[in-house]
Amino acid sequence: MRMQVIASSQPESLSVTGAMTPGDKRYLEVSMVCKSFHGVTVMEGMNLRMARGELVSLLGPSGCGKTTLLRVIAGLMPADGGDVVLGARNITLVPAHKRNISVVFQNYALFPHLSVSENVAFGLKARGETADMQAKVADALALVRMQGFADKSVTGLSGGQQQRVAVARALVVRPDLLLLDEPFSALDRKLRETMQVELKSLLRDRDITAIFVTHDQEEAMGVSDRIAVMNAGKIEQFADSSTLYARPKTPFVMDFVGLSLRLHGRVVGHEAGVSVIETARGHVTAPVDLPVGSAAIIAVRPELVRALDMTNAPVAAGCNTISAHLEDAMVLGSKTILHGRAEDGDRIVCELSGIHSGYRRGQTVRFEWNIEDTLAYAVGP
Amino acid sequence: MTSTPDIIAGTPEKPRRATFDLIALLAAPGLLFLALIYALPLALLLFQSLRGADGSLGIANYVAFFSEPFNIGVLMRTLRVAALTTLLALLIAYPTAIAMNRAKGVWLTVFLVAMVLPMSLGVVVKAFAWSILFRANGALNQMMQAIGLTDAPVRMLFTETALVIGAANVFLPFMVLPIYAVLQQQQASLADAAASLGAGPFFRFFHVALPLTLPGIVAGGAFVFSLSVSMYVIPSLIVGETQQNLPMLIARSFLYLRNEQLGSTISAILLIIAISVVLGSSWLARRLGARE
Repeated sequence: MRMQVIASSQPESLSVTGAMTPGDKRYLEVSMVCKSFHGVTVMEGMNLRMARGELVSLLGPSGCGKTTLLRVIAGLMPADGGDVVLGARNITLVPAHKRNISVVFQNYALFPHLSVSENVAFGLKARGETADMQAKVADALALVRMQGFADKSVTGLSGGQQQRVAVARALVVRPDLLLLDEPFSALDRKLRETMQVELKSLLRDRDITAIFVTHDQEEAMGVSDRIAVMNAGKIEQFADSSTLYARPKTPFVMDFVGLSLRLHGRVVGHEAGVSVIETARGHVTAPVDLPVGSAAIIAVRPELVRALDMTNAPVAAGCNTISAHLEDAMVLGSKTILHGRAEDGDRIVCELSGIHSGYRRGQTVRFEWNIEDTLAYAVGP
Repeated sequence: MTSTPDIIAGTPEKPRRATFDLIALLAAPGLLFLALIYALPLALLLFQSLRGADGSLGIANYVAFFSEPFNIGVLMRTLRVAALTTLLALLIAYPTAIAMNRAKGVWLTVFLVAMVLPMSLGVVVKAFAWSILFRANGALNQMMQAIGLTDAPVRMLFTETALVIGAANVFLPFMVLPIYAVLQQQQASLADAAASLGAGPFFRFFHVALPLTLPGIVAGGAFVFSLSVSMYVIPSLIVGETQQNLPMLIARSFLYLRNEQLGSTISAILLIIAISVVLGSSWLARRLGARE
């Protein structure tokens, strides 16, 4: 079920927002990287390729190996096997301080004994690049709009300010690659969204290649050109956000990225690229070939589901339909979310645009969606 | 209830009175004990040091002390031994504290027990144990001869070297624990951040690790230095009367010479050294801390 997906196998996913620099698609190439801790394998045969100037997110639950991969790329942790190549230079055995890869840490890791400008100057000093140091530091601080804080102590700064300093410190050395480990997780929601927009345009303007590590799917979708969804030490799918959302390759990706109406069932028939799956809510047709008799999961994104008031209306051609008692109707302003009563492990959810206040708990609602919007996965014999 | 405008005007209904917390009385026995057993005798001692043989007050005793070359030698030896002991303890303690900071679970317990357990063993017992190690046919001499480092037994017992090694051993926990405490407060990611910014091992040590542990080094240094300056039992057992330090001179003045003026004067000098170490180190620690 799980597969490793590398960039070259998904050429269609490269057609992103247009800001991507054309050219070397193999700027960073991680191949066959393995890592285990105390005999427990956390990563095996990991492959990842990204282009120069690309913004990529490693997205996954905690323990999926995303931070391990980041540390291996940064050189902060040796891999047990495999290669890391950056800009045609094999850096597998190069120590971290000679890789020219900057890292923005989750807790920012600012040096508490140094001022804001001394923190930013640290990398230049460490490399002996002291020419024009003051000007470079001032430029970097201006870039993150922290020029007024140059002589301040870093311990008195707010979370957002500390993050700006960490970004300035990482960028002032002109890294070949920027790695960001959960950079927004310590910020409150509003600030997080502002910082995401700010950071993304800053990286775009300077044509910086960067990898974000995050467990927040909205953050990943917001800041990156492509997202590598990771689970149990493997990449399940590596694609742009619209592909991940509309065509998740595995049930894990479907569940992890976005919410879905989801039913378990068994394949009872198929013909010409169409399978029929029997679920607790009746038969559902899916536009994929699945072996008859295998257990399956069908899923639909909630905004593609329609709620019908007339429960007796005939089934429209090319549509799937199920009925359920309404468990809850949440009016959220810009959208209304209907939750239907479902069996354990299943979820019936429908997202309507705008305010729909006529729904009552317990009433029977018919849910309908197009067959072509149905996702289906075989999950066993 | 107090209304808001009153508070803003600064005229609360109840007049503010300095309240005396009855709980504070719990400190009374301790304070009384210290005043009687510590402060009073110390004041008497200081007064004694300022009184001449004829009963007049002045600094004659201090002038007499410092005009005697033998005394200057003892003072210098005391400071030198204390400085060397502090340095040796630091060199051993620093890596130990780093290892302790990395240690987890059972290993951390082992380290902590190894630090604390020797403190429960009396100095006398330790000193006799060292004499087995340091004597002419002792373990250390046998080992050095066996590996061909020396031809004949080297005299180690009754030397300053043995004293410094012994004192550093006894005082080691007082250096390790403050450094360990400072390391515990540091983010582990600072070293990673420094490395990713292009700092090699030496740059990382001198620009990140060392400055951040300096407060711990200062505190540990102050502990070990004060303890070394005022140690009596360890030098008595290891080097004996041949190479006296200030505390031994004090004891001799009181016990054998029956010269209370001299004993009090040396005590006052020792006290001044100890106080300047404490004040100096806390000033240094504050200055270092002010940057953070």
